Amino acid sequence: MPEQSSDESLISATLSGDEGAFALLVTRYKRRIFGLAARFARDRDEVEDICQEVFIKAFENLASFRHDAPFEHWLTRIAVRASHDALRRRRREKGQSGFDDYVFEVRDYAAEARHEARQAREVLQWAMSRLKAEERIVITLLELEEYTVREISALTGWSEANVKVRAHRARQVLKRVLEANNEQERG
Amino acid sequence: MNKNADERLDRLFAAARDARVDTSALEEHFETRLMARLRERQKAGIPWYALMWRMVPGFAVLVLLIAVYSANYGPSSSGDLFAAISSGQEEYLAGNVLSGE
Repeated sequence: MPEQSSDESLISATLSGDEGAFALLVTRYKRRIFGLAARFARDRDEVEDICQEVFIKAFENLASFRHDAPFEHWLTRIAVRASHDALRRRRREKGQSGFDDYVFEVRDYAAEARHEARQAREVLQWAMSRLKAEERIVITLLELEEYTVREISALTGWSEANVKVRAHRARQVLKRVLEANNEQERG
Repeated sequence: MNKNADERLDRLFAAARDARVDTSALEEHFETRLMARLRERQKAGIPWYALMWRMVPGFAVLVLLIAVYSANYGPSSSGDLFAAISSGQEEYLAGNVLSGE
């Protein structure tokens, strides 16, 4: 199967039992899925877990792919759902962590950070860990991945009004958390 | 104050947008690991709970058929409570007479 084959032909070949065709699809889209998973995962192991889950689900449900939207879009929807599940699992495992623990993390990160962008990412990641799973999904897709409200609604299955409300709430929480952290650092 | 917080948040978003995590090392040989796991899952077969889930639509259709059958061909229930009780008593008395009690 040549590497330039269309998604449709690779999907048909996979459905007829050609595993190599699916491996080509994985090669084609893994960068996109790894990039998205890395926005939500807390470490490298979790990125790997999310990506494996995404491609396993895609493989096992490939017959249900209806070709009415691009394959990448369908795969991104699976990735968003897998990331959402990972965030909810983590929240259940950890419960609500104390604010002080996070302040420590931020100070450590700040000392280690060499670049402003990396530092910003880490501060933001810390602040985002205070959000609910749904709010984090929405604000990440909106502000970091630059999807529109309509696209997020299609990816998550939530209504556009719901996406807007969650984005607004997420911003309010992030502002509060960052302000509280600032005051604590000053005090 | 609020405007400052908004601006700070937007600055953080802009900076974080450009700072993508480098996942190239993680992506290496991902296909090999994934295909090995897929083969493992295929070898292990379908777990019992997945089978149960797959049987749910079948059960639902069965329940629906039974409901339709009993609604159309089952004994008609009387809306009159007194008639239902007295009909039960008649059957009971007839049984007693026949058995000689």
